[in-house]
Amino acid sequence: MRLKTRERDGILILEVKGKVMGGPEATVFQDTIKEALGKKYKKFIFDLGGVDWMNSSGLGILIGGLTTIKNANSELRLANVTEKIKSLFMITKLVTIFDSYETIEDALQNY
Amino acid sequence: MPLKKLVDLSIPSSQDYLPQVDSFVEKLLKATKFPKDDLDDVAISVSEAVNNAILHGNQSDESKKVFIKVYLSKKYIRISVRDEGGGFKPERVPDPTEDENLLKASGRGLLIMQHLMDRLAFKPTSKGTEIILDKFCPEGC
Repeated sequence: MRLKTRERDGILILEVKGKVMGGPEATVFQDTIKEALGKKYKKFIFDLGGVDWMNSSGLGILIGGLTTIKNANSELRLANVTEKIKSLFMITKLVTIFDSYETIEDALQNY
Repeated sequence: MPLKKLVDLSIPSSQDYLPQVDSFVEKLLKATKFPKDDLDDVAISVSEAVNNAILHGNQSDESKKVFIKVYLSKKYIRISVRDEGGGFKPERVPDPTEDENLLKASGRGLLIMQHLMDRLAFKPTSKGTEIILDKFCPEGC
């Protein structure tokens, strides 16, 4: 997994790329979010367009991110969710807990 | 149908080895006629099975190993993943799609493997639990 952050209109966009398979990656992901929360970001977008595939540990990483962000009274949107991840969301019913948008622009406009 | 063994490897029970297993299996799969989407399904399922063996079967005890074997026939690929743990009862895994479990960070591996693979079997052995994953090649392997 590779992570890259950028800011747009005061919103932190976290680009996730590669294969998301858990293990030490979960700590890196959480640390990135906590650091951003420490910098007072209140709105987040996870850009999943570059994810090759994700397993259940990867889904756990996303849920951990959502929980951390919500516990800090902040908000999360997902963008560019690939067909493969969408099918995992359907199988696991996680489609009901994530707020997903087709593009970054759509996610930004709905904030 | 004869199964040809392609790989027989073992790793210590640490998630640090997951990327190595993945890249090894990916190279093998790319040499077959699997469509890209099916190839990803197998790769995801192997990562689930190995993760389960490390975390739940062997309890992350690095003195215990996870054994991975890959077989190929003309019609399907078979992956066997065995731990050295004390046993596993799939029916005891809570349903991750129930409302009270939706926000839990783990517990979805079995469900995902069941959906992505064509056959899934658990085999308790005297040496640990073996999970067998089969995926059919749509146009032959």
